[in-house]
Amino acid sequence: MDSSPVPYFPVNEFGPLMKGLVIGGVGILHVFLAQFAIGGGILLYYFERIGQRGTPDARTFVDSTFRVLVLVSFVVGALTGVAMWFTTIQVGARTIGLMVDEFHWLWATEWVWFAIEIVSGYAFYRFGPQLDDRTRRRLLLIYAAAAWMSLFWINGILAWQLTPGAWLDGGGMWSGFFNPSFWPSLLFRTAVATTLGALVACIVINTMDMPRERKAVLIRIAARFAAPMAVMPLLAGWFVAVIPADSRQWLMGGSMPMTMFVGVAAGASTLIGAYVVVGLIFKRLYINGATATLLLALAFGATAAGEFVREGARKPYTVRGVLYSTSITPGEVAALRKDGATTHDPYPLRDAARFPTPQLRRGAKTHRALCDACHTLHGANALVELTRTWADDQLRLNVAKLQRTKAFMPPFAGNAEDVEAIVQLLRWEAAGAPPRWPTSEDPATLAQITRWLDEVGTSPAGVP
Amino acid sequence: MWPFSASPSSVWLVLYLLTFAIHVVLISYVLAGTGYALVQALRRKDDPIADRARDLLPFMLGLGITAGVAPLLFLQLLYQRQFYTANLLLGPRWGAVVPALIVGFYALYLAKATEAVRWRRTTLAIALVCFTFVAWSWSEIHLLMQDHPAWREMYAAGDRFYAQSGVLPRLLLWLGAMATLFATVASWWAAAPERRRLAVIAIGGRIVSAIAVGLLVAGDAAVISAAHGWLYLMFVAVAVEIVAWIWTALRPDGAGLALVTGAGTAALLAAVVVREAPRLAAIEAPRAAALEAAGFPVFAVTALLGVVLIAWIVRAIRS
Repeated sequence: MDSSPVPYFPVNEFGPLMKGLVIGGVGILHVFLAQFAIGGGILLYYFERIGQRGTPDARTFVDSTFRVLVLVSFVVGALTGVAMWFTTIQVGARTIGLMVDEFHWLWATEWVWFAIEIVSGYAFYRFGPQLDDRTRRRLLLIYAAAAWMSLFWINGILAWQLTPGAWLDGGGMWSGFFNPSFWPSLLFRTAVATTLGALVACIVINTMDMPRERKAVLIRIAARFAAPMAVMPLLAGWFVAVIPADSRQWLMGGSMPMTMFVGVAAGASTLIGAYVVVGLIFKRLYINGATATLLLALAFGATAAGEFVREGARKPYTVRGVLYSTSITPGEVAALRKDGATTHDPYPLRDAARFPTPQLRRGAKTHRALCDACHTLHGANALVELTRTWADDQLRLNVAKLQRTKAFMPPFAGNAEDVEAIVQLLRWEAAGAPPRWPTSEDPATLAQITRWLDEVGTSPAGVP
Repeated sequence: MWPFSASPSSVWLVLYLLTFAIHVVLISYVLAGTGYALVQALRRKDDPIADRARDLLPFMLGLGITAGVAPLLFLQLLYQRQFYTANLLLGPRWGAVVPALIVGFYALYLAKATEAVRWRRTTLAIALVCFTFVAWSWSEIHLLMQDHPAWREMYAAGDRFYAQSGVLPRLLLWLGAMATLFATVASWWAAAPERRRLAVIAIGGRIVSAIAVGLLVAGDAAVISAAHGWLYLMFVAVAVEIVAWIWTALRPDGAGLALVTGAGTAALLAAVVVREAPRLAAIEAPRAAALEAAGFPVFAVTALLGVVLIAWIVRAIRS
């Protein structure tokens, strides 16, 4: 195990779910709740200030909303953060390991801010009503600032994955942290956070026991925090401008699923922005709880689509230029082309008896090592269905020259025998997994695959 | 001083052990406090200790989880491959600790909010089951991380439970220690007569831990030889602590509680080193990326600022 050029970890499969869906599900929920906590903190500080200056009901609103913030964000929001770590280990242990190695002091810094956020938040939740005005204000200011600082630090680490910038040329950790997409991403997320805070505020205000006119006053104030949505198109444009050219092309039509998600995020954001800016701020309309909830659901959809785009734009990497989505580095591909993808893999198949030949077993191990991170055989993003109509040689060519088949695929990190094993596995699965299957070991076929592997090389197809 | 040296790994190890010790104090209050409140709810006893615990439990759990993030970070620097492998081997079963914590968290809020005894019992029982499951899972993953020979077979068999004989004694040791730590923290808010009861719980916790240590040592004597002087420091600290608890039971208003806290803190710090001793040899050589990582001064300044801000918050709410 230790002599392997690549560290192997046990691989778990999630049935018909591809791993991206698993981490996406946890990640989107966490991002949504965490951003709500940040925006909510800023909004509540503002309401506390104006409440102390005489705006009626503002302080009642602060105490009501803070309860929601604690019950939702402090529990599910905080714990889904822990879940993100555990899920990322399940999906790409090497990726999270590299991120921890590279940025552990910044992650520790982020943790300190998170701890301040939690302590100040609980202190306000528990003692807020008994505190004097100045202490309440300061406590909320600490809470809001700590929550945003937590975003500040984690944003740099996440943005580094897509745009490591000068870090790739040895510029050091700080150049990786303050990478090209750091500022657009931070400002965009801040705008999302304040918008979410405003939408939740509109829901909470509707649950408060007071006449509609008084609620309307509070809603108009809360709606101001969604105004940053107006600059979101600019921030999104800035973000798209600084990401790698190939990633940008996929978002702009090169990959239709990604383009559609961009459209969903943009469309949902436009609808929310139009309603809030035109309806609530300019026309001074009233929004009831049901409509606010609907807008919040739209915002969740926009967040989900946006996170999908952000994750997808990194393909074929999890850390641009450094680590492929297969958890293999570009430098290791050449070694695996010689040794084979699974020669050093110490973990056996859990269902080895299912496969009638050693070649199919090799195919299954190769699939586990190289494909399983983003594909399933029969479920989501199913390889069997993606390749069902391809001719055998077309399949061999497309697998061998994987990075040319699709630019967001990494180079195939195995040898000709691995390619043929995958091909046979896919054919066998497509045939309904019969109990007998011939072994394909024609030297001419393997020689042809080797030629294709040599022709395409081990470099990625996109911009490095 | 063993096991610390001037290496980067030692800095991570110190921070890991310190933050882990803080985490342990908080989660001990949560698990043992939940158990205590449940027992009192079942006995239908009006009990100020249980009332206070129910009131504080969600807050302590929030702090405990937050405090747990730091050792989780440093653990990934020290034992990355082992921690990730054990994570993956336990798979979704390990991932269940998060939903269990969420359910336990909300159960504590309900237990705090409700006046109905039946509801209180139910929610506290749910929370206790959830937290015990998490404690058991951590005991399991801690041992699995070190059992390299078992990894391959466990993966091949598709097992999601690591049924090694050391898991239950280890869990028992923790449960005993948690009872003692709960009693120590709770005593600072307790009136004199309540401290007597807490002293009994604390000493009982130490007895449970001692039995568990006996079971563990019977299974693996290497623990003793690997821990150097820390084991003896721990024994001395525990002995002083027990004497201080007896003193507290006899004179609840005396200075026994300060001595309990001091000795208990020493015992905890020594214990986390003793706990670490058997796997210190498995600390991975620092990876290049981790060695070259910048940002320590930023962390140090932020940590200092954090201490100041949290101290201000505590002062503000107390005044």
